[in-house]
Amino acid sequence: MAIATPPNSAAAERMELLAEMWQERPGILGWFTTTDHKRIGLLYFWTTLVLFGAGGVEALTMRSQLLEPNEHLVSPNTYDELFTLHGVTMIFFFIIPMTTGAFGNYLLPLMIGARDMAFPRMNALSYWIFLGSGIFLYTSVVLGVAPNAGWFDYVPLASRQFDPGRNIDFYCLALIFNGIASTLTAAQFIVTIFKSRAPGMSFNRMPLFCFAMLAAAGGLLFALPLLTADTIFLFLDRNVGTHFFDVAHGGSAYLWQHLFWMFGHPEVYILIVPAFGIATEIIPAFTQRRVAAFPLVAIAELLVVFIGFGVWAHHMYATGLPTITAVFVAAATAMVIIPSTIQVFAWCMTMVLGTAQFKTPLLFIAGFIFMFVMGGLSGIMFVAIPFDQQVTDSYFVIAHFHYIIFGAAVFPIFGGMYYWFPKVTGKLYFERPGQISFWVLFIGTNVLFFPMHIVGLLGMPRRQYTYPAGMGWQSYNVVETIGGYLTAVGILMLIGNLVYSYFRGAEAGPDPWHGPTLEWTTSSPPPAYNYAVIPRVSSAYANWDEEDRAEDRRKLAAGILVLQEGHEQAAVTPVDGTFDEIVEMPHDSPWPVLLALSLLLVFFMLVLHKYGVAGVMAIGCVVSLFGWHSKEPQES
Amino acid sequence: MTDYIAGGRKIADVPRTTAATGTPAVTRVIVRRTGPPAAWWGVVMLIASEGVLFAAFIGTFFYLRFNDPAWPPPHDPSPTVVLPLVMVAILSTSSGLMQLAWRAVRQGRLAATRLLLVVAVIVQSGYFAYEVHDFSDQLHTLPIGRDAYTSSHYVLLGADHAHVLIGIVFNLWLLWKLARGITTYRANAVQAITWYWHFVTLLTWAVTATVVSAALR
Repeated sequence: MAIATPPNSAAAERMELLAEMWQERPGILGWFTTTDHKRIGLLYFWTTLVLFGAGGVEALTMRSQLLEPNEHLVSPNTYDELFTLHGVTMIFFFIIPMTTGAFGNYLLPLMIGARDMAFPRMNALSYWIFLGSGIFLYTSVVLGVAPNAGWFDYVPLASRQFDPGRNIDFYCLALIFNGIASTLTAAQFIVTIFKSRAPGMSFNRMPLFCFAMLAAAGGLLFALPLLTADTIFLFLDRNVGTHFFDVAHGGSAYLWQHLFWMFGHPEVYILIVPAFGIATEIIPAFTQRRVAAFPLVAIAELLVVFIGFGVWAHHMYATGLPTITAVFVAAATAMVIIPSTIQVFAWCMTMVLGTAQFKTPLLFIAGFIFMFVMGGLSGIMFVAIPFDQQVTDSYFVIAHFHYIIFGAAVFPIFGGMYYWFPKVTGKLYFERPGQISFWVLFIGTNVLFFPMHIVGLLGMPRRQYTYPAGMGWQSYNVVETIGGYLTAVGILMLIGNLVYSYFRGAEAGPDPWHGPTLEWTTSSPPPAYNYAVIPRVSSAYANWDEEDRAEDRRKLAAGILVLQEGHEQAAVTPVDGTFDEIVEMPHDSPWPVLLALSLLLVFFMLVLHKYGVAGVMAIGCVVSLFGWHSKEPQES
Repeated sequence: MTDYIAGGRKIADVPRTTAATGTPAVTRVIVRRTGPPAAWWGVVMLIASEGVLFAAFIGTFFYLRFNDPAWPPPHDPSPTVVLPLVMVAILSTSSGLMQLAWRAVRQGRLAATRLLLVVAVIVQSGYFAYEVHDFSDQLHTLPIGRDAYTSSHYVLLGADHAHVLIGIVFNLWLLWKLARGITTYRANAVQAITWYWHFVTLLTWAVTATVVSAALR
């Protein structure tokens, strides 16, 4: 029984009081100053959706270019920019911000029974910096100097000598800028999970989605600085005259690759882990059964990212690594199979043991499991070093990682959009068109990516803007391009369904799925304060614990644990979830957006090589920070 | 209602923290709290992230070193050894001063906190002024763009000095806040910034040891 409706008139008054206290500045301006995790999550959602569109258009342009041999739809240089932008956009500006920024922001505090993140203003800052970095990257497109050396941007191709424009400078600075946003989000999530859970929610009572977010955040926190260091070196090499990657002066081109992949491989698992998290929420909801092997799945989610830090050099087998290194890395790579398989079996077992109802979200998860196994099987092949050396830089690799990154990482995002749509909007989506959109997407994705395995084994190299006739590659490319457009149609059907449902959908009520976790106990959409009473939690499937929910209603009626004396939230000890303090939360603030704006100006000055002006702009950042901290919680 | 137990603790025993102002209230809150506050966790996240960044910088230095038969290259001078180590030892005392400041603020001794912070800032600023001076001196005789050794040498030092500067700005901000008395918010900030300074001290030792190691040709 949800606590969306007040049990008595005193409770109604308390809820009104809370609503008043947590009310933010109304109107458009309110979106700029908001610190509400739900509104920030929505801002992330819309922004990443736009960037996803940009990345999709880039992909379709490439597929159209590859439709026929000797095609000249785009120039070779434009093609270079397209695949670089496609990679950078989809990884840094779509999947990471969509899973952590949008889904994580909106859902994490709800699932742990909190009223907001541990650092609400920092949360807003992270969004505005992310938006700034997106604007920064796409400014390079407008100016015609988009990054053009691939998303992994190998030197010496990316050095000043071979790429003299500002393309790579934009790449370096955009990724540093974007990295700040992701680091803030990661720090935020970890501290929120450690400190802001509902009192009594010890670690073993935390939903699996939160474990996945913890794993992703931990990965981001430890992996991103490596990319930052690498891009700082490259920027300095190009513009200050250092020699980190310059072999003629004692530098090393390997250094770039090592640092990049030490970041890059954990990053790949950071992309997929939130998808695991979404799957572990949708599966119990539509099977009405707790996930099998809960502790193993929780550990497996963390272990995937942890092992991910030891496998980077499997991207570098073709560079002539010492055999001992290659074998070590191959063994570590093979180890990833263990936590991945634990999860696959747990998901399948849960579906078999429960009463699986294949509504649209669960269909997407079933599709995800299929593609994850497909991509996993081609992934295992790369453990065989000689095989890897044969297919490296061919379309086989493209097929493998699109099965993982699109099939496995993005399908749960689509499933999650359907699953949480009623919670976010209060409306139900249309079921039958939803299922059709799944089948179109599932067939489209496989038609798009499966032939790439074959054409890769036939020897078609990646990143070639065109190919000669008579190689036997054309028919596969035609099929792939058709699959590409089919996938785009599926995505448009999905978005169309959700947009139409927003206006015409039936009322969803607080809990249309009888979902397992706390967010289904509050109204749809949730009020600004999330929960009228700090919920009691005695398992990871809190919404199914009827006694606890009845207890919440009694407490609301009696006014216990409502925290109505101030703009407050409970804080706990990290492991046991002992109630440790009641902290006063900050209100909405204009400083995060101003700080992000001055940082954007700093980065624009850096890319123009106006370092003095950048220094002056940096003073703007310091002023914003002082303004930010001029008012303490008890003074506002 | 007052003795309702939530999350293993009586509600009456749970302190309302950031809202607490005035010395006695703050000390009471800190005594009743069983774990570190979110501010401390926040700074630990910053330290983790920065620690990896410097691990990458230091790792790069040694990666390049072990790839190069002659390090530093023969035409580059060896780094000075004794003076940088003495300077780090001096900077390390400020870490102790910060720890004492954190103890003082916990006990509600405002004047002592301020005094300790002022002394710490003087030590830190002195270190910073000397290092900036030394950095630009070195740049005159040994340009950053000469080879991979000079590149990693200056990037390491520059990044470390930038962290010292950020710490000084933190401390000035603290002094500005503490001009209006103690609140839990400010006490939490003293704790967090103390930890940041412990990290910067460790970092400076690591960076200096790395830079000085080039003297072993």
